[in-house]
Amino acid sequence: MLLHLLVLAPFVAAILMVMTSKEDAKSSSRLAILMGIAFTAMSVALIAGGNVATEAIEWFRIPGCKGPVYYYLYNHGLASWMVFLSCGLSLVALISARGITSRSYRNFAIGIFSLMGAMNGTFLAADAVLFFFFFEAMVIPAAVLIAGFGGKDRMKAAMTFAIYTLVGSAPMMVALWYLLTIADNSMLISLAIALQSLPEGTQNLLLVSFLLAFLVKTPIFPFHGWQAITYAEAPAPLSAILTGAMSKAGVFGFIVWVLPIFPLSMSAITAMMWLGLFTAVYGALMALRATDGKKLLAFSSMGHLGLAVAGVFSGSEVMFPAVLVLLVAHGISAGAQFILMGIAERMTGTRELDQLGGLSSKNPVFSTLFGFAGVMALAVPGTAGFVGEFSVLLSLWDMGPLPALVAGFTLILSAAYMLRFIQKVIFGKQAREYEEGRRTSPLEGVSIGVMLALLLVFGFHPAFVTDSLMQADETEDAAAAQVLSDASINQGNAPMTEDEIHQLDSTLAAAGFKEDERASIIAQMKTENNASGADEANENTVKGASDDE
Amino acid sequence: MISLGLIPLFPLLGCIILGAIAVISSGSKKGPAEGFVGTLAVLFPALSFAGVALLSLNMPDGGIRETLCNWIDIPMFRVDIGFLFDGLSRIMLLFVTGIGSLITLYSIGYMHGDRGFARYFAYINLFLFSMIVLVLSDNLLLTFLGWEGVGLCSYLLIGFWNKDLKNCQAANKAFIVNRVGDIGFILGMLCLVTIGGSAILNYDALVNFIQMIINGNHLELVVPFLSVAGILFFIGCTGKSAQIPLLTWLPDAMAGPTPVSALIHAATMVTSGVYLLARLGSMFALLPVVLDIIVVVGMLTAFWAAVTGLFQNDIKKVLAYSTISQLGYMFMASGVCAFDASIFHVFTHAFFKAALFLGAGAVIHALAGEQDMRKMGGLLKKTPVTACVMIFAFLAIVGFPFFAGFWSKDLILERLFMNCSMYIPGFSIFGQEIPNIPLNGAVYAVGLATAVITAVYMGRLIILTFFGSYRGSKESEEHIHEAPAVMLIPMVILALGAVFAGFLWADSIGIKFFAETLAPVVGAAQAYNTPVVTAHLNPVIFAALGTVAALLGMYIAYKLYAKARIPVAKGSSAPEGGKATWTFLFDTIHKYVGIIPVNVLAWICDVVVDKILAAAQWTIGAIATILGDGAASFQVRKVRVQIALSILGLIALMAIVLLTGGSL
Repeated sequence: MLLHLLVLAPFVAAILMVMTSKEDAKSSSRLAILMGIAFTAMSVALIAGGNVATEAIEWFRIPGCKGPVYYYLYNHGLASWMVFLSCGLSLVALISARGITSRSYRNFAIGIFSLMGAMNGTFLAADAVLFFFFFEAMVIPAAVLIAGFGGKDRMKAAMTFAIYTLVGSAPMMVALWYLLTIADNSMLISLAIALQSLPEGTQNLLLVSFLLAFLVKTPIFPFHGWQAITYAEAPAPLSAILTGAMSKAGVFGFIVWVLPIFPLSMSAITAMMWLGLFTAVYGALMALRATDGKKLLAFSSMGHLGLAVAGVFSGSEVMFPAVLVLLVAHGISAGAQFILMGIAERMTGTRELDQLGGLSSKNPVFSTLFGFAGVMALAVPGTAGFVGEFSVLLSLWDMGPLPALVAGFTLILSAAYMLRFIQKVIFGKQAREYEEGRRTSPLEGVSIGVMLALLLVFGFHPAFVTDSLMQADETEDAAAAQVLSDASINQGNAPMTEDEIHQLDSTLAAAGFKEDERASIIAQMKTENNASGADEANENTVKGASDDE
Repeated sequence: MISLGLIPLFPLLGCIILGAIAVISSGSKKGPAEGFVGTLAVLFPALSFAGVALLSLNMPDGGIRETLCNWIDIPMFRVDIGFLFDGLSRIMLLFVTGIGSLITLYSIGYMHGDRGFARYFAYINLFLFSMIVLVLSDNLLLTFLGWEGVGLCSYLLIGFWNKDLKNCQAANKAFIVNRVGDIGFILGMLCLVTIGGSAILNYDALVNFIQMIINGNHLELVVPFLSVAGILFFIGCTGKSAQIPLLTWLPDAMAGPTPVSALIHAATMVTSGVYLLARLGSMFALLPVVLDIIVVVGMLTAFWAAVTGLFQNDIKKVLAYSTISQLGYMFMASGVCAFDASIFHVFTHAFFKAALFLGAGAVIHALAGEQDMRKMGGLLKKTPVTACVMIFAFLAIVGFPFFAGFWSKDLILERLFMNCSMYIPGFSIFGQEIPNIPLNGAVYAVGLATAVITAVYMGRLIILTFFGSYRGSKESEEHIHEAPAVMLIPMVILALGAVFAGFLWADSIGIKFFAETLAPVVGAAQAYNTPVVTAHLNPVIFAALGTVAALLGMYIAYKLYAKARIPVAKGSSAPEGGKATWTFLFDTIHKYVGIIPVNVLAWICDVVVDKILAAAQWTIGAIATILGDGAASFQVRKVRVQIALSILGLIALMAIVLLTGGSL
């Protein structure tokens, strides 16, 4: 129920917002914030509740594909935290937006709620087509919001963003469709099995198409062309959501969809890791030269996510909790920083670093928050960022000292650009005279304070975050049973768990599908799906695999 | 008994309360009442000190261990938040909290009337919290929390007067240079985790692990890896303790308020590198190569910084280079496994250097912010108490007999001569074999020469500041006044420490209290490295040589500066010409090795790579447009026109992108 609510209710909320008054920003903002609080509370409940799955409801059939597409949601530790980021940041964005877009607040809230629904859907979908649907759906409200509420170059930014990300995921759509024509249905396990039956060349082609979509979304060098202008031109609260939650969809896609489906070769893994590291260095170097505050933050985000991607492809056991903590920490701190930068722009009317300065004496409360947010982005021990970056370094160290050394280099660079950023914005003397815009409202201040406090809490007790993954391990069996019972209801087209992927992977990947092995796989399938429907298909799959040999 | 957790908790509470006061009162014109804030600010460190004192009196021989809770628990990596109170952390904590409280008290007078009064004390309390965590923690990761925490506080306090961008830049430099060292620390920890799992980040476990290696004769197997870890940790130490090559930040750090320089950049934070070496002593004792590197680095740093101290005109800069030089001594001692001697010097140095800095602060306070020694002089009569404090501390630092520095410095020099096992490997010339040449004499000689130079530059400081006649402007002379009591009391107490602290370990007269309290922690490590010089030498010889060095240096200083005409100060107090080249040697190296390459890389990324990517991106877009247009034009049968237009459009687009530098 919670899952349905988190995915569908935001759209209902968006419709509710349509009914509020366009002129009366105050009342509509109150309603929006109340609903935002409700969603955040639900996401917290989702984290606390552990792994749950909805029933798989048949949605539609794609012509030419064997199985139907399900509306099927599934929550695991990683997804629940991403949902938390998307709901929490949306709430803060709704609060902060009161100071920026007072006139058409209603429309802004409509966009934010649709975006939130799409993001939650992306993170919670257990069906590949459903995932892809939401993955693409995220772009539309975001692009509309940029075009409607952005800065000077907003049309250009919105077009670049929409075209770049949509084109980037187009190959994935084709690849997914191709896989679906072979697979039984669009569940993860079926896709993984279907892929096994393909020749290696095709496999690699499909892998590249999948990777491309996520590389663009994250973004990873050299596909970051859309990012800086988008984050800079988008209204600051939206930038906070884009970097804090939406960009996580890319890293999330690597972990949840690429790693389980594709049997990655060592060279592919190494290449991706180095690409991630290169992005981390590149982002940091670009941030060092940035003159626009929001662009600096955009490149900083790029650097951090590059590090996260490098962590994902380190192949270490520590990887899961490490990347999760890093993502959560980055989501909160980058979100807070974008919102603070938005406030600075609102107050001074510029985001050029050379035009800013001297805020610490003029707006001490704002500067305190700004300074602390900046320091926390530096991954000082005791903040969540440190736990994340340290454990990512730990997993990179598994790949050899050089990757860890490069990652360490980015930490030095991040200190360099972040301190420069803090200095330019709040220290020194005021660079120019200006008419001061709206200051930090108490609610804004409190919400950012809560975010910073969360960073400290997760920094000293990361178990809050990492335990959700442990829980995933412990409850795997129960979840599997649940999934299996779901499957038997649905004509045996079983959505299967990762455990089984491993089993199948290892059996099939082991050289030579011997007769008895194959029989055992089929027997396994049979016992699992005692309703007869799927057996034939499974047999076909396995036969196909052996034929290719 | 009180819980160990309380000791860091007090300053943390102080930081939170004072921080809240600072933020709440930031809107008001007047600011919070200074008396109230000052009382709170001193209260919490003093409570910590009381707690430490109480624990010290009741400490069992093995120390106290306490695990508070789990910190990080992920697969393959598990670290707890735990504290370890033993002989080493006892000494460190006693002087950290004790001197911390005194300097906080002094700051009340020094910071009087500053708008950021409450903020300052919030930072100071946060610093003390981090420093206590650093020395009290029972594992490396928690030590690292304190390690970066003190670095952060150092950043906040150097840039405390943040309206002046120079201060901010000094603060940024301190943080970034320290970050370089910190990465060494992190990688060192990772290296250890690879060798023995996350459990050996715990100090006790590490000692057991080392013992196991020694007992099992697995040294050849593990030493190469441990050496890498050791070097990485040492890089961390060079950053925090301002050794070659990461020392450039410390002189710049003098931009902060003077009590901060006394507390952070002289007495406590910068010595944490020495503390870490002692804490990991059992590991370093196994690594002869790393130890040799430490000796060489310490020796070069001590000598270079002492010479640099001669060239400075800014009173605080002289003290900064003096600190670097003294830290070099401590590293030399660590490099010959004389960890008790290095910690003893940390201890005595904390007293006399804090006294010197606070004295300098009082002088600067009296002269309304003047730091150039060429504009001082003759202050002995005008500020007698300050002058006495500084002269006592001066006698301590040069190693005048029976003052604190005399005992600790001579101990280090003696150990250098006895324990240093470095040698030039033997080789043969013209068939004649030359045996290994031991270098202990050379190292000792450099140490002694540095002691002479120390006496010269410190003598110069004292003479220029307190003797002769006043060289400043006439108007400013009338305003010169002695510091208030709240500043004088801490100074006098520290001066007493500078005189008497050495008697805790007066080797020549048979008092070994200090060595005995450290023995349970560092004894095993020191026993592992046997002295090279086995012949018994009378320690009085070393004491006599040290005294001669001090007296010689003082005599040279008197000859050179007492009667000399001091050139009239003009412009900045920075050294010029060859002196500047020497002073900024490492800044120059950093510029060419670090800053410029990074900037060039950044320029390439920004101006070359990104523009190429943007151009490629637009080209693809343009080609798509042309294809679309081309297809459409077939229908309207105006092929040529359409294609021509498309190409024109492409060129125009490219031109726009390249000319405007559209950073997409």
